Amino acid sequence: MSDKNNKIPFNEDNYTHNINRNNERKLDRRGFMKTLVGAAGVFAVSSLPWGVLAAKELGGLGDKKYPKQKIADLNSVAVGDAVDFHFPGEHDSAILIRLSEKKFVAYQNACTHLRCPVFWQKDEGDLLCPCHHGKFDVETGAPTAGPPRRPLPEIHVKVENGVVYAVGVKRYEA
Amino acid sequence: MKRSYIPVALLLAVLMLNIIATQYMVHQYFYQNYTNTIIAAVVNVILFPVAFLIYKKGVMVND
Repeated sequence: MSDKNNKIPFNEDNYTHNINRNNERKLDRRGFMKTLVGAAGVFAVSSLPWGVLAAKELGGLGDKKYPKQKIADLNSVAVGDAVDFHFPGEHDSAILIRLSEKKFVAYQNACTHLRCPVFWQKDEGDLLCPCHHGKFDVETGAPTAGPPRRPLPEIHVKVENGVVYAVGVKRYEA
Repeated sequence: MKRSYIPVALLLAVLMLNIIATQYMVHQYFYQNYTNTIIAAVVNVILFPVAFLIYKKGVMVND
């Protein structure tokens, strides 16, 4: 470091250059250690929200709860048939499809293109939106043809005592 | 004044661990392994008092 700015320019009563700033901004060992501890503190504080969010996910607080709702009796739906119902609200139309003896799938049946209703094509084995011929995979709800780009929202289904219930809506994942 | 640079090296190691834990935490959150996320966050929080103790020791003994 040069002493360029630390010289008294001329010999007289010195009022303006009486501040000794030698080494004032030098980062010594102790100051460097303080900086490191401060950085560790910043890391610690910034990881708190992640922990909170993760705990929230683990506790299931992010999932919305809906009361379980009866869709149909087990015997009234033959394998390969579909039933229309409404879940979770009375204006959210949905479709239940029985794929095999034990396997049920349910989706909210508004097409993800322009919200036309989606119909189950038993012969072709996929879900068809007749407005623009959008098609969805019946196993996953993923779009397979036509304009829709997003999957149909899946509804979780549970079978209890010969009755099929809708218990929840799968969270949307982009 | 005899100074030791061991605490400085230790603090640098702590900071490196902080970086690793933070990276791990964020990635595990993305992959939805929330238990690992919480573990990494706890490690990060614990590293701060560790760093502070290292600082205290390094300052008191040698200065």
